[in-house]
Parts: sequence; structure tokens; C-alpha cells
Amino acid sequence: MKNAVSGLGLAPDAAMINFPIDMFLPGSDIAPLEQRKHEFYDALTQWKPAFGKSAAGVTPLLSVEGESHEDALDKANYLLIANLWGDGLPLWPATKQRVDRILHGTVLPRDHAIGKFPPRGGITTVETCAIALAMAGGRPEYLPVLIAAVEAFLDPESNAEQLQAASGSAFPVVIVNGPIAKQIRLNSGFGCLGPDPQQPAGASIGRALRLIQQNVGGALPGIGAMANYGGNRNTNLVFAEDEENLPAGWLPHCTDRHGFAQGANSVSLLFANGATNMRRRGAKKETPEEDALQGMHRMADFMRVPNLTSLGGYEKGTPGVLLIPAVVAQTMTRLGWTKKSMREFLWEHSKIPLADLKRNGGPAWIEIDANPLTRESIKHDPWPITFKPDNFVIIVAGGGHPTNSYWLQGYSPRVIGREIRVPETFDRLLTAADRDLGCGSDYCRV
Amino acid sequence: MVKLEFYDPSGGIEVTQPHAPRLDSLAGKRIGIVTNEQWQAFRMLPLLKQLFEKDFPGIEVLPIDAFPQGNALIGDEETARLVKKSGVDAVIIGNAA
Repeated sequence: MKNAVSGLGLAPDAAMINFPIDMFLPGSDIAPLEQRKHEFYDALTQWKPAFGKSAAGVTPLLSVEGESHEDALDKANYLLIANLWGDGLPLWPATKQRVDRILHGTVLPRDHAIGKFPPRGGITTVETCAIALAMAGGRPEYLPVLIAAVEAFLDPESNAEQLQAASGSAFPVVIVNGPIAKQIRLNSGFGCLGPDPQQPAGASIGRALRLIQQNVGGALPGIGAMANYGGNRNTNLVFAEDEENLPAGWLPHCTDRHGFAQGANSVSLLFANGATNMRRRGAKKETPEEDALQGMHRMADFMRVPNLTSLGGYEKGTPGVLLIPAVVAQTMTRLGWTKKSMREFLWEHSKIPLADLKRNGGPAWIEIDANPLTRESIKHDPWPITFKPDNFVIIVAGGGHPTNSYWLQGYSPRVIGREIRVPETFDRLLTAADRDLGCGSDYCRV
Repeated sequence: MVKLEFYDPSGGIEVTQPHAPRLDSLAGKRIGIVTNEQWQAFRMLPLLKQLFEKDFPGIEVLPIDAFPQGNALIGDEETARLVKKSGVDAVIIGNAA
């Protein structure tokens, strides 16, 4: 709540009366309300905000001293944790030297304001991004992607203000298109959603975004962020589409969804709150056609679940992101499937019978939705999990293996696209990366 | 000794407006309730209304349905306009969880 009022431009404090969660549950004992009634009276007559300062402007420097560099590094980490700015993993303190080096990744001035990060309303500048990237172990060439991701995050239509604080455990998913993905060593293949020492960019960029969410946006677990579980939040999910291996006729996601030119460097940001593997391939003597059809049914069946996370993006967002490896996309294309026909199939076969929805109370959530179009959708039986087939996001990514696909359950009112701007000196940064990390080309990879 | 200096990562904040002034007393005042209808608000807020009206002479606490209810409506400009138009001296908002 303090975050929320801060985000509105008020001092970050509020006249709140807090009770244990038990009182807010059905059938609860509400007698504590009467026992503490004077707190309500005082809140309207006596309360004053505890916080009175306005702190925009020059970024303060902190300092620690140690007997050795290692000792000082430890103390810096302890200080960051004690100030609730850590994530449980070791941090690089954002020294002036480190931040200045990372700022070579952009032509934007360091004080260029990107926006106020919700819900706390922390002022987010290019320097803020560089500081987070420094702490997350990032490099200068990652900065353009992080800046674009933060711009997308702060788009008013992303609904980040609510999703940052809500209990539904939303995490941002950042899909990168364009040559920058390979240039900065961002994974689109085997293990693209996890750690990869040969393609480490996604972990640092995603971790930096998470640090901004927490430290600038105030999304601190149980305080500013009521996410029950908070899965995938250590590094969020930052990966690339496997554009080199798109089947003939398939547009890259950035063109398909956002209208960016093919070959443009861009990010596409959405929120998800679930991530799971789906076994797609058949196990016996299926024909290619049977294998494809059974796989499509299995994926659609998996999406036909009544947990209603897609309601917020029912009209213009997405029910989720389907990741399929290039080998599957290419096989499906040879069999006559297109991205469009796959979406239509998934839309049609993921519909939920209304009787099932009624049994689990789903219609109540649909009936209270803010969007009239969503409310009206309850007239359909079976009920489509999203308004139209095009809302499904299908991305070609993952290793060259046909057995598995992956589903990122959408929790996102929109899918926001932003172009990535790189400085003219970007090649120099890539040369430095080759020097620091070893050759990054396909030929050099193990 | 080795000294390590590094940036505060929290970003500045900007206070652009003051909180609403507090009331000198509750007696004789008019209080509004804005509710999202969630988390047992339908039980708790009417009880709060009773408590206020029992303890303060001349106070009027508007019923919980005096203004639009629900998460989708309580934050919009129309609700704010209706609250201002009602002439209440203060507003209680509930329930968050």
C-alpha cells in the first residue's frame, strides 16, 4: 500500500489498519475490528506520514570498508541485503567504474528518464538500468535490451502497476528478435529459459529487470509484492526467437505481433505466471500426420484449464506463449500447417465446456471482469479461453529435439513491443565481449 | 583498508502532492466508504459504519453501496468525481489483502 501511494506521487506512507489474513476469509471472526476501532478513528484524525523527503536527483553513493577487497565485497553484499536490495545471490556492487562502463551500451544520457517504476513510483533512468545491470553481473552490450524491456514494462497498457503487486505471481517474459540476440549471446536453443555459460545474456538482463522491479518498483516479497509463490523471478525469462531456423513463410514474432520490420532488433514483453514442459511427440508408430495432430491435441488439452489467468488479457493480451522447437515448426509446415492454422486449432480445441466452468465457480470471475467483452464471453459454450486465435503467441525456440514443447501461461493484458536502439560503437562492445568471454560465434561454441 | 563505493540502486522518488489533511474531530462529520467488495468487505465495512455512528454524535457514514464498488471501478475518475460531489469529509477504503 505504501508503494501504491508513493506511485501516485504521495509520500510513501498511508493510514492503514492491518489485520492478519484470517479475518479476510469467508466465515471469519470480525470482532478484532471492534477491538481496534480506535485505530480507525485515529487514522482519520491524528495520522501523519512518517516519510517527508523528496529524493529525486543525484544518485547517492554508499560505501563500505574492508581489510581486503574480498572483505569489502562481502560487506557491500551484506549492506545490499540489509537494505533489502538483494535477491539472495551474490551481487556486484554498482561502482562508478562498473556503471560507467555499462553505460557505453547506450547513446542515451545517463539521466534520461524512462518512467516511474510501479507501484512505488521509483524514478527509472538509464543510469538506474545500468546500476541494476552492474549488480546483476551484466555487460554493456546487454544494456540496449534491458532499456527496451524496461520501456515495454513501463508502458501503461502493460498493467505492470497491478501485476507487480498482485498475488498471482506474474513474471515478465522478454522475447528478443533481431541480430542483436546472437550478437550479445542470448540463447534461442537448448536450455534457452535457463542458465547457459556460453549464452549468458538472458540471465543477467532478466536478473537486472527483477532487481529494478524490487528495488525501484518496491516489489518486495510479502511487502510490496503479494505474489504467493514468485516462480521464475530470479532471472525472469529473457530469450530469443530462433529466427535462423524459422520455417519458410513464418514471420518472426516481432513482425507478426508488433509489425516491426524483419531483421529489426526488438523486444516483446508480456507477463506469465506459469511455465511448464509439454510432451508433444508420439511414442509408437504414428505417421507424421498423426504425430502432428496428436501433438496439437495434447497441447490444446493442456491449455484447456479453468484457472482463468488469461482473463486480464482476454481481448488484447494473450492466454500464453507456446514455444516449439524449429524442427517441429519445420515438420508441421511441411505437413501443411501454418502459424495461423495452429493458432486456430489451439483456440478451437482449448475451449472449456460451460458445465465444467460452472462446477468450479469460474463464471463468477468472468462476470466481475472490467471488460464488457470478457463478461459477454460467458454466453459461449464451450467457453474460449481467449477472445480470438491471434491472441496465442507461438515462438520458435528451444533445442533441436522434437519431443517437447513449452507453455508459458499468460497473465498479461497486452503484449508490448519495443525496438532496441544500439549505439554506433556497438561493434566495439562485441569485440570486447569476444576478448573477455572468448569467441561467441556458432563455430566456436562447444 | 579497502574502501568500496557504489550506487544506491533504489532510484529516487518524487513527492508531488500532500496527503489529505486529517479531521479535527469525527463528531458531526460525513464519512464515505469506497470498497472493492473483496475480502469480507460486505461484513466488515458495515460493522465499521455502526461503530463510528455509535461512538460519535452526529456523524454520518454513508452506506457501502453509496459509490461504485469493485476492483474495476473504485480507482477510476468517475468514482473520484462522485466521491467529491457527495461532499464527504473523509473516505475509508477497503479491503486490501
